[in-house]
Amino acid sequence: MGRSSKDKRDIYYRLAKEEGWRARSAFKLLQLDEEFNLFKGVSRAVDLCAAPGSWSQVLSRKLRGKESNEDVKIVAVDLQAMAPLPGVTQIQGDITKISTAQEIIRHFEGQSADLVVCDGAPDVTGLHDVDEYIQAQLLLAALNITTHVLKPGGNFVAKIFRGKDVTLLYSQLKIFFSSVTCAKPRSSRNSSIEAFVVCQNYSPPEGYVPNMSNPLLDHSYDVDFNQLEGPNRIIVPFLACGDLSAFDSDRTYPLQLDSSKEYQYLPPTQPPIRPPYQKACHLRRNNLLAKEDSASVLPDDALSAMSLDSKQETDTAASGSR
Amino acid sequence: MTSAESCTVLESCALVAPVTALEFLRDDYLLTGEGPILTLFSLEGSPRLRASQNVLQNFRIHGIRPKPQTRHDAHDAKPNPDQPTSDEITELAIFGGKGLRLINVSPCGRGLEVAGPLMELQDWVLDVSWLMDEPCPLLGVSIAHNAAILLEPQSGKVLSLCSCAEACLLYSALLIGQSWEESVLVGGTVFNQLVLWRPGRTGTGRQCQAGTQACALTDAQVERRLLGHSGVIFSLFYLQSSGWLASASDDRSVRLWHVGELSGSGGCGVEVPTCLRVLYGHQARVAGEDGACLLWEWEGEGRVGRTLKSHRSGGIRSLAVSNASVGKRSRWVATGGADGGVRLWKVVEQSTNSELKVEVEKEDSQMYLGFEGIGCPKVVRSVGGGHTVVTCTDQGQVSMRQDGSWKEIWHGGPDFQSYCVMEVVCIQGVWVCAVGNLNGGVQVFPLRQPGGGTFLQASEGKIHSLQWVERRIGACSRGSWCLLASGSEGLVQRWTVEVAENEETGLFLVLRKMTPFLLPPCAKQWLTAAVTVTIHSGKKKVLWVCGDRRGSLLLYKDEKEKSQRESVQEEDTQESVVGINAPIPAVATLFGVHGKQGVTSVCERRGVCYSTGRDGCVRVLALNKDSLNVRRVHHACKGMDWLEKVLFLDYSEKGTFFEARFLMAGFHSVEFVLWDPIRQEKVFTAACGGGHRSWAYIPSSGDQTLEQGTLIFIKQGTIMASRSLASSTTEIRGHTLREGLHGRGLACVCRLGELSKPGDSSEKWEVLVTGGEDTTVNVLAVRPDQGTVKVLAVIADHISNVRTLAAVPRGAKGDETNGRCRDMSFSTLVFSAGGRAQLQCYRLLIGWDEQTNLPTCQVTQIAGHRLDEKWERRRNRHKTVKMDPETRYMSMAVVQDGVEEVLLALACSDGAVRIFSVGEDSRKVELLWESFYHQRCVLSVASYSLEDIYGKTVNGAVALWDLTAVLDSKSGDSWLGPSVPCLSVPVHQSGVNALVISKQRHQQTPDDIITMATGGDDGQLSVMKIKVEMNQSDQTESLCPQLLSHWSVPLAHSAPLTALTTLSSARWASASPDQRVCVWRLCDDGLHHQGAMFTHTADAAGVWAWQREGANIQGGAYVVVCGQGLQLLKTKEIERRKVVFGDRNKQKM
Repeated sequence: MGRSSKDKRDIYYRLAKEEGWRARSAFKLLQLDEEFNLFKGVSRAVDLCAAPGSWSQVLSRKLRGKESNEDVKIVAVDLQAMAPLPGVTQIQGDITKISTAQEIIRHFEGQSADLVVCDGAPDVTGLHDVDEYIQAQLLLAALNITTHVLKPGGNFVAKIFRGKDVTLLYSQLKIFFSSVTCAKPRSSRNSSIEAFVVCQNYSPPEGYVPNMSNPLLDHSYDVDFNQLEGPNRIIVPFLACGDLSAFDSDRTYPLQLDSSKEYQYLPPTQPPIRPPYQKACHLRRNNLLAKEDSASVLPDDALSAMSLDSKQETDTAASGSR
Repeated sequence: MTSAESCTVLESCALVAPVTALEFLRDDYLLTGEGPILTLFSLEGSPRLRASQNVLQNFRIHGIRPKPQTRHDAHDAKPNPDQPTSDEITELAIFGGKGLRLINVSPCGRGLEVAGPLMELQDWVLDVSWLMDEPCPLLGVSIAHNAAILLEPQSGKVLSLCSCAEACLLYSALLIGQSWEESVLVGGTVFNQLVLWRPGRTGTGRQCQAGTQACALTDAQVERRLLGHSGVIFSLFYLQSSGWLASASDDRSVRLWHVGELSGSGGCGVEVPTCLRVLYGHQARVAGEDGACLLWEWEGEGRVGRTLKSHRSGGIRSLAVSNASVGKRSRWVATGGADGGVRLWKVVEQSTNSELKVEVEKEDSQMYLGFEGIGCPKVVRSVGGGHTVVTCTDQGQVSMRQDGSWKEIWHGGPDFQSYCVMEVVCIQGVWVCAVGNLNGGVQVFPLRQPGGGTFLQASEGKIHSLQWVERRIGACSRGSWCLLASGSEGLVQRWTVEVAENEETGLFLVLRKMTPFLLPPCAKQWLTAAVTVTIHSGKKKVLWVCGDRRGSLLLYKDEKEKSQRESVQEEDTQESVVGINAPIPAVATLFGVHGKQGVTSVCERRGVCYSTGRDGCVRVLALNKDSLNVRRVHHACKGMDWLEKVLFLDYSEKGTFFEARFLMAGFHSVEFVLWDPIRQEKVFTAACGGGHRSWAYIPSSGDQTLEQGTLIFIKQGTIMASRSLASSTTEIRGHTLREGLHGRGLACVCRLGELSKPGDSSEKWEVLVTGGEDTTVNVLAVRPDQGTVKVLAVIADHISNVRTLAAVPRGAKGDETNGRCRDMSFSTLVFSAGGRAQLQCYRLLIGWDEQTNLPTCQVTQIAGHRLDEKWERRRNRHKTVKMDPETRYMSMAVVQDGVEEVLLALACSDGAVRIFSVGEDSRKVELLWESFYHQRCVLSVASYSLEDIYGKTVNGAVALWDLTAVLDSKSGDSWLGPSVPCLSVPVHQSGVNALVISKQRHQQTPDDIITMATGGDDGQLSVMKIKVEMNQSDQTESLCPQLLSHWSVPLAHSAPLTALTTLSSARWASASPDQRVCVWRLCDDGLHHQGAMFTHTADAAGVWAWQREGANIQGGAYVVVCGQGLQLLKTKEIERRKVVFGDRNKQKM
């Protein structure tokens, strides 16, 4: 296969490297903007779960333009550190904390945001029901902080997994926004269940008080409006967006796209910063993982206190899959 | 319209889903949770299924918590494992998703019964614990938003709800304690931390009145915080007796913490919890993605005690360990896979000072067999099936190890020094040894009495190899043994060897020389393997199948004995000229099939031959009178290129012509490995140092699986055993409770047919083929009335994932020799295609195996093709960058099913539609036509009336192609085809995922009317009627399609519609990742939603429907959905009020 095979399998991955985007997902936001004009008149934007920062990059390039517009304020929030971007203020914080919301407002000098975007995805377990649930909770957490920072009439864009309980999420979003659309940019693969909800015109129910202390809990199925198996389900309109003549994310392209230009391998723009598997991969690469005849090289200094009596009983090791 | 008032009810028949929960009930039962289905296995004797029930409806079971039978004293630090006796009812709390339900296990494990309604909680349940110290047992439930709920189990009433001040999402949680007030919640947060807090210790406590739903209390504070993981925490476990907490994380490590006593008087444990161990050992995330279950040794300072490896690519999803019962040294470990399989292991613990430790004995590391003798051992063989080992050294000494000590048997003269070959065999109960030397001499002698041996001069030059071959006439009769000695210039001398006994001299050997064989000329002209096969063509006839060092397989015939010389015509004229003793050349040769490294073994089972070679392949050979055909090639795992032997798993000699179950023995880098081609896993490994060594594998007695054996091998000039020969008990025994399927996602499914048990037509099996991301194609048999799923064959020829399948039925011509099987078997030609532009074709013969009393499948490989095959053959490819796109085949349709060849249309990811012809007899795949018209990834293709195909693209357009020209120009050299489609209709906003065409013709009009249904990524279902006319203007005929009408349901599913199938005329079933299977019907007034069902197959990628035998056309059909697992559904029509759904936008063109 080799390192160029990903360039062939994924045209947007290649284009992202050529155009200097940190991730191919930048094209998704660009294509969403093409369809919905999301950036029109926006001067204060929030990027939730921003790392590695490709959406912040799009916001920065699109909103500030070439002559760095000082009126435009962009705030990127993530738990992880992220390489700096021009014109983007970073907050390393938790989107479920009221303090984070307050900090965002502080950066906007007391004003609310015009646009909130969120391209966050959770650490997946591989079990579909768990992953979809956690993604839904992430979206609801993003919605919750959005209710604190978004101005009425503002827009909210977030990644959604079109899984088994997606209609429950739709029904929840429709409470807060007058228009909810499920959009699929052409740069998002046809084969993935990923899509984006474009929620326009923030109009919370009358008397709604944003509250961060309790998480927004997801809805349940009922008999009349949103059934589990029946014909009555809350489904929002679907819109495929992006230019039809644009590249096709599912197609495999030859490396030589254009006969005038020689193919050249480009390294990724921004490699991941401290992924969780870093240490395990390091041990694995250097053949240091524990085996049947050797312990793994203990990499941690947190093991100082090991003076436990090793004759501890271990007889009631009842277990379960937790 | 009455028809519109009917609706379709779907009902599940069989489900294969990831096993997400496992729990032992004492040592006697195992409970498994697969999707919503709870299954009870009894473990006594041979483990078997007792009961199975759907308990959580649309939730997946994530945990099973049996209620402790006896109430513990809260202050007794050591929980009293009072084992409930099996004649009591065991109550279980089953949870998963937001669902929770009580289930009772009947006394003596007779069955499962529902003990309460399904409770739906407000939030995702992570853990449930029985609080036994309450006045009546209550349930403590920890939920995903770092909160805990106190529940009254029978009514489901929420008595109390308490959340933590740190309201973050948890990936895992544990609720520890016997009462609500003293309980401690351990949460593994999304921020890679472990938090400990007490839900029962907040504010006013739990003075909750019956009237209020749940009283909001002040939030509890986090009391302990454990930092260190660098990934989210997937799983937690607390060992009360030692005060240890274990956590497994996305960072691929397991950490062990000393937290002290939690709950009760201990509160939140010690003030400063310490991390005792950081255990890195998994190749992938500890969720079990590497499919390994590691037992860690506490004593060993973090060594891995034992690796239990299982489950195909998908990894392990659940794990349970049984309580060690008093007086037993063993306990069970069960693992459940993403592949839907359940494996059970028995782990024996060593007890020291009456304390049990989870430590697997170290004695099973390799041990020396203490060889003492002259010279360096070169060959090692096992004798008598037991632990007697025979070796031959480079000094020409043959020694035997018996009862722990070595003794010399025979010592050759100087002729036998520096080089020797040795083989042993049991003839008439006597073990006979043959040793060959450098000068063409062979010494043959009985081991019991070396003096009774004979010396043979077999060759001028060195004896390259010796082979003992049993020559049998007929399956049952005992044959005679032949010794083959491969000498110089490709001459293979043969003798028949018999053992006789004389009262004076004891044993002696009677040798009779046979006509030698001549190997075909090549550089390394020597024999490496030989076997005889008896075929029944008129009369029984013995054929010799040999393998040589050049990798060729050779077929030899014994020259005819004088008495049998009936047909003079068959007599080879050449033979009479050169005389009777001239060497016999091969009748048929498969030159170099096993590669340049040579053939390593050939063997025979039930009339079928198996050969192994150092190309990493097992070839299954079908024999004819004078031809040798490769029926199938099995590859071992990647990198295992040195195969030595096949070991058969079923011992019966008699039976059908079907392939036997076998293991592949060979070397994988420095290890000796037994590879199971069906389970696709290593069942035995021993680090012997790799190839180029003599070995013997001794299965342990009574072990049917062959997994518990011992390897004897030569390493660094001495003889070693992979474990102690003395220990007869095996520490770890694996059982497969349920077979798994692909593990990773299934991309496509196709039904082949139905098979009934001979003599019992009520036992019906549906035979399906599936292809998956794990690059294999599986042949399955599903018994719908019992929900049983059996894997009949695993085909692992694809190098990338399998995305699409097609099948055309064939008459069961198969093996004519077994005509009796014909009436209960059928044959199909199956095509599979997928990533790396690979297309494979197989002939499957499905029949009934009377031995196992199950359906069985014989696979014949017909042909394989890859678009980039030329590239693979290029020599300098590591230096250059491959510029071609890595094309994937997305979809496939049979365009023409001819006798000689089948034409297939393939949708390709590089934007092309390609037509291939596959010839079964010629075993060739040819590209006939391609068009890059679409310029998009082509997602689906279907064909109609053998003339047109429909290509669908990511754009959402459907194009109709007239391929008459392609089909007509078959005889020509160049393939003509259309460059543009004759009709293109935009249907969907984005990709067209699914496309089916109903092949019904209008009776009134002469024109064909095609009904075409499409499903899109936008969730839309569309149905179009297209009239196809032949336009006979000019000289050429051209197709003139007309779109008559177009109906659609814009949001048929809330997720992409990924798969579509025709149920009957004008009825379709659709599937989607929203996990609903919907049935639609086209009436005059539009598309109607006929019924829906929630399916537990996530990521639905393929669906297939067929009419049920015996059911009327309107009703009974089966629908199979595949994705992350597989579910078989049954449809039934019932009358109900009319529900009109979907708008109608009929248009005329």
